[in-house]
Formats: sequence, C-alpha cells, structure tokens
Amino acid sequence: MAEELVLDTAIRDWVLIPLSVVMVLIGVLRYFVSKLMRSPAASPSPDPKLVKEGQVVIRARNLRTNVQFIPAKAFKARKVYYTNEENGLLHVPKEEAQKAQAAMFSDPNMAMDMMKKNLSMIVPQTLTFAWVNFFFSGFVAAKIPFPLTQRFRGMLQNGIDLSTVDVSYVSSRSWYFLNLFGLRGLFSLILGEENATDDAQKMMQMGGGFGFNPTMSLGAEKDSLDIIQHDWALPKMERHAEDVLKKLLKK
Amino acid sequence: MAAAAGGGFAGDVPIIHADNLVSNVKSVNYSRTFLSIISGVVAGIWGLTGLMGFVFYFIVMMVASLALLVKAKFSVHTYFDSWNRIILEGVIGGLMSFVLFWTFAYDIVHIF
Repeated sequence: MAEELVLDTAIRDWVLIPLSVVMVLIGVLRYFVSKLMRSPAASPSPDPKLVKEGQVVIRARNLRTNVQFIPAKAFKARKVYYTNEENGLLHVPKEEAQKAQAAMFSDPNMAMDMMKKNLSMIVPQTLTFAWVNFFFSGFVAAKIPFPLTQRFRGMLQNGIDLSTVDVSYVSSRSWYFLNLFGLRGLFSLILGEENATDDAQKMMQMGGGFGFNPTMSLGAEKDSLDIIQHDWALPKMERHAEDVLKKLLKK
Repeated sequence: MAAAAGGGFAGDVPIIHADNLVSNVKSVNYSRTFLSIISGVVAGIWGLTGLMGFVFYFIVMMVASLALLVKAKFSVHTYFDSWNRIILEGVIGGLMSFVLFWTFAYDIVHIF
C-alpha cells in the first residue's frame, strides 16, 4: 500500500493527455453542433398571438419590479388594467386556457426541439464513454494528489477490481468522469457564459415540460400581481436627498 | 466590472440595476473560474499534495476576494447586492476545475 506504483510514461503520452484533449474538443464540437441545430428552429416567424402574450407578461413583470416607484393610485389603475376579470390583459377565460394546453401537448415541434437538444448532449457522451471503455479500460491512468477514504474506490477506480491499490490512483474510465465534471469551468471560459448555463436551462425545460407556455405564464403573472404589496419609495427619497445635500453642504 | 449596480438607498429599499448586477456577478464568476484553473496548474507544478493544495486554493480565493474588493473601491454595495457576492460567489464551483487541473499538472510533472 505504501510503496508508489510506477506508471509508464507511455500512459501519460497516449492516455492521459489525449483523453483530456479529446474531451475538450468534443465539448467545443458539441457547443457548435447544438448552436447549428438551434438556429433553424428560431427562424420561422412565431405566432403573433404568442408574441403578444409574451409582451404582455413582460410589461406586467416590469410593473411588478418597479412597483415602489409609482404612487398608490397609479398602481391601482394599472393593476385593474391587467387583472380585472372581464377584459384585463392577463385574464384568460377557463375554456381557452384548456384549449391552449391541449394544443401545447399535441404540438410536435416542441417535442422535436427537446429531442434534438437531448440528443446533442447524450450522443457525444455515450460515444466518448464507449471509446474510453474500448481502448483504455482496466489500468491506472492517473493519481490524485490528495488521499481519500475507501468509500471513493468505486468512484475513482471504476474498472479495476483490486482492493490493494491505494485509493488515490485513478483508472482511465474515472479520469473520464473527472474530466466530464471538471471541464465545465474551462468551457465557460473559452465558449462564453451561455454554454455553462445551457445545461441548467435544459434541466429546467425538461422539468417544466411546457414551461414556455405563455398562457400559463399569463395566469402566474396575474396571481403574483394580485398578491403584491404596494409600497411607495419616493416619499422616503425626499428625505434621503435632503440628507445627501446636507452632507454635501457640510463639506 | 465598470458598471455601477446601485445608485444608493431609498430608506430601506435598495435601488439596484439588475442588468448591471448580473454583468458584475458574471465577471466575478469569470475571474474566479480563470483563477481556479490557473491555480490548479500552479499547485500541480509545485507538487503540492494533500491538504496543502486545498489550503493553497482557498488562499488564492481569499486573495481574489481582496482584489475584487479593491477593484470595487471598497464600496461593495455600489456594485453588488450583498457581501456574499464578492466573498463566496464561484468559490465552490471553481473547486472542481481546480482539482482536475491540479491532478492533471501534478501527474504530468511528478508521477510519470
């Protein structure tokens, strides 16, 4: 256990470095492929009704975030304009809401889009994993410079069934996994922030399913506008300005 | 990190320009990620092992926080909404990158 294993330098030249380089290159490739797949989907002109609803939601959201800068009367008037039960902009009749939801489920474009996104993530990962498994399985490729407990053996020495090797030695398959998680930071540097957030967004879209349904978001926006507390900040602002001016005069 | 995120306070309500805040946080994250990769390579080449490497990482991150503080001219609330943005943002996220590049450099230089 205590003695050091001697690793062949050929492992470094033909496994460790190529594996890492390939992981980086595949990440870059994946980024550009997903970019290419995304662009034609955005080009057909969207349904005007959807655009209109989206804009209404954005307007209501602006009202909600800036609510403390307008007087109570103005806020009340706007709130009625958005949320009243007869012709408020955010009010959606019940049967129409159900219709929109049904249309959402039967829309094949949506599912297609999600499939494409998932494929661009899963296919390269499966391929790399198979490649690593085929060429590099069954030997130690690296050593992490800090000790770990036995619990980590399954994680780090995936593919090696020896219980006497020190846990800090890493098999090539596990080195692949380390790369998979650790390179995220590098990608956000070389490809820009959007790549790093991409995965999280995908997760959100999968979780929400039809999270981008404007009719749903109309309802949600209406609810949050209904419960918001109005608190006008500007009267305090005058006092604040007085303080600042006094301070300036004293100088 | 040029854009100021806040104009000041109106009573208890902080006035924050959300876009500028997001851009500031983004640049903080960028510098942290960059630093974690660089410090990983440095730690590997120096041959730090065990706890020393992690201590090194957190020292680097503390220095980075200090540098960010200087960059923000010691008025954190002009640029960010809380102190955590400057002290904690991106530290844990960078740890994984640090460990990877630490291991990579260490293996190439010292193991083989």
